[in-house]
Amino acid sequence: MLEFDGLYKSYGANQVLQGVGFTVAPGSMFGFCGSNGAGKTTTMRIALGLARADAGEVRWRGAALDAAARRRIGYMPEERGLYPKMRVGEQLTYFARLHGMDAAAAARAAEHWAERLGLGARRKDAVEKLSLGNQQRVQLAAALVSRPEVLILDEPFSGLDPVGVDSLAEALLEQCRDGVPVVFSSHQLDLVERLCDSVGILARGRMVASGTVEELRRREAGRLLRVVVPEAPQGWAAVVPGVRVVSQQAGDTLLELAAGTDDQAVLAAALRTGRVAHFAWREPTLVELFREAVADPAPATAREEVAA
Amino acid sequence: MSRPGSEQRPLGSGALVRLVAGREISTRLRDKNFIISSIVIIVVLIGVMAFQVVVGSGSDEGRLGVVGDASELGPAIQAQGEAVGVDVTIVPLDDEAAARAAVEDEDVDGALLDGTGEDPQLLVRERDSTMEAVVNGAVAGIAIAQELADAGVDLTAVPEVSVSALDAGEDDGERVVVALIGVGVLYGLLILFGQFVAQGVVEEKSSRVVELLLATMRPWQLLAGKILGLGVLGLAQIVVIGVIGVAGALAFDVVDVPGDLISTVVSVVLWFVLGYAFYASVFAVAASLVSRQEDLGSVLTPTTLVLVAGFFVGLQAAGDPDSTLATVTSFVPGLSPLVMPVRQAAGEAAVWEVGLAVVLMLVAIALVVRLGGRVYAGALLRTSGKTKLREALRAERA
Repeated sequence: MLEFDGLYKSYGANQVLQGVGFTVAPGSMFGFCGSNGAGKTTTMRIALGLARADAGEVRWRGAALDAAARRRIGYMPEERGLYPKMRVGEQLTYFARLHGMDAAAAARAAEHWAERLGLGARRKDAVEKLSLGNQQRVQLAAALVSRPEVLILDEPFSGLDPVGVDSLAEALLEQCRDGVPVVFSSHQLDLVERLCDSVGILARGRMVASGTVEELRRREAGRLLRVVVPEAPQGWAAVVPGVRVVSQQAGDTLLELAAGTDDQAVLAAALRTGRVAHFAWREPTLVELFREAVADPAPATAREEVAA
Repeated sequence: MSRPGSEQRPLGSGALVRLVAGREISTRLRDKNFIISSIVIIVVLIGVMAFQVVVGSGSDEGRLGVVGDASELGPAIQAQGEAVGVDVTIVPLDDEAAARAAVEDEDVDGALLDGTGEDPQLLVRERDSTMEAVVNGAVAGIAIAQELADAGVDLTAVPEVSVSALDAGEDDGERVVVALIGVGVLYGLLILFGQFVAQGVVEEKSSRVVELLLATMRPWQLLAGKILGLGVLGLAQIVVIGVIGVAGALAFDVVDVPGDLISTVVSVVLWFVLGYAFYASVFAVAASLVSRQEDLGSVLTPTTLVLVAGFFVGLQAAGDPDSTLATVTSFVPGLSPLVMPVRQAAGEAAVWEVGLAVVLMLVAIALVVRLGGRVYAGALLRTSGKTKLREALRAERA
């Protein structure tokens, strides 16, 4: 288990993290969502030892991460970084060696990953001569080249074209199948929904929701019911207790049911108006869940953007 | 569930520092600019020595034509020449016409007519004060000896002056020149390699690769690897320059006392090590405060000025090695590497003075590394704009 436990961090008066915690099982993918400045990058940097938490710790296999354990983490920083004038192959070998591989194994791994990510022909080119998409691949290769036990990737999909997204997703899923816990942050929530076993939503330094997408949907209070009743008069549903009409256009009605309200009572009321063309719970998308979760209860004063 | 970890071994600090240093060295060795600048330095050095040889041969030798009997005058002129460091060759000539022709053809540097007579005359193409002095001295000496002999004075009674030098280093001038060249090279290399270190630090910051690096190592390991790697290159370069310099000087016969030359070169090399450790650390720390190569100049200028000042004090010390300025600055950390070698070469520095300067320098290096390491660690991940020293020190604990 990769455990983030009760992380607190402040920069001066600015509370960036206020008790962030979640766990990622080996072989599962965790999508880390949150608005800009919510604290995702700070959380990841703490895991990598690049920032020190005021309180709390990150554990892998039950032990707090130390320098040796961190060397088994593959990391992709939000701010992409490689030596611009160094050749692709040598760069990958260097990072593999920094993670503790010996020279021969590092060279083999560098060759393997360059080949895997379609960079085989560019191994002898300086990184700065590559297209941005290819530089991104080198960055990913640098995270994977040391055969890490844990992957932590900050916005790995940003700046990729759809083909690039697919090949990166495939590479990550393969790592998962090998038993590596993968944590990545992203603003592309459709991707997170598609790839991740579980999701965490961070807002204002706190985890406001975490679990599988299913769990988040179920937990969502005030569930939405869509009923299409072409012959019903306007306001037909308002008479049912515990029901709030969100919208009604012609017969297409969106209802929010208070907890404990029987959806069958709604169906009965609908049937009384005539033909029922559609009756179903409407699954909120992750985007809607996200909006709901990060909605600021008290609109905050202008928040300072930190390296968060 | 776990991955095969057989390929990975835990890395110690030493291994990490070596990896970083190795990367610095291999990157520089493949850098065309570095190779070219190294070759240029060595070519210039050999050129300077060759120039010395050519110029030296021009001024230290002379050919003087003598018309008439040169049996007495010849040795006298040669003796006078030796006294002022000119190796005079006497060429016997038949008459005035032959003398004029020889001077016109530059076969001789000058021709003496009627050297022992009433009206001695020196023919030269252009006036040459050295030659004139040599000839004048010889002619006058012989005339005086002749007149004294005529007057019956016994010349053997003239006491001969015996010389005893108070200063043991008999040829300080030469050693100071060597030290001066050495300090010039040392100054150039300190600037060059200090710049390399600074550029390397900023490159890592501006390309943001530093975040990836710091995920695997501590800031001090990165700093140490960088400084050591480039330092090995710098040391190799100054040693190569020193060896070529010594070998060339001996081959071209520029120096008389190889032992002094070698000891001066060795002391310059040792001062380079101390100077480099100091300036590379300061440059690295200064560079860590900015995020773009364009901003580098502004943070490096103060330190560079100290180096330049040290260089000029070193030059001044060559002329006046026991001046108060030279004495004081030869103890000041940062200036001492550029001043002390000159004073040592001039024989003005006692062993305890050199020892004290070295100890002060070591203390300064320890302080810079300790304090600078904290600034460096605090500033490295601040990849936007310029970081203030105090912010960096505070951030180091974050």
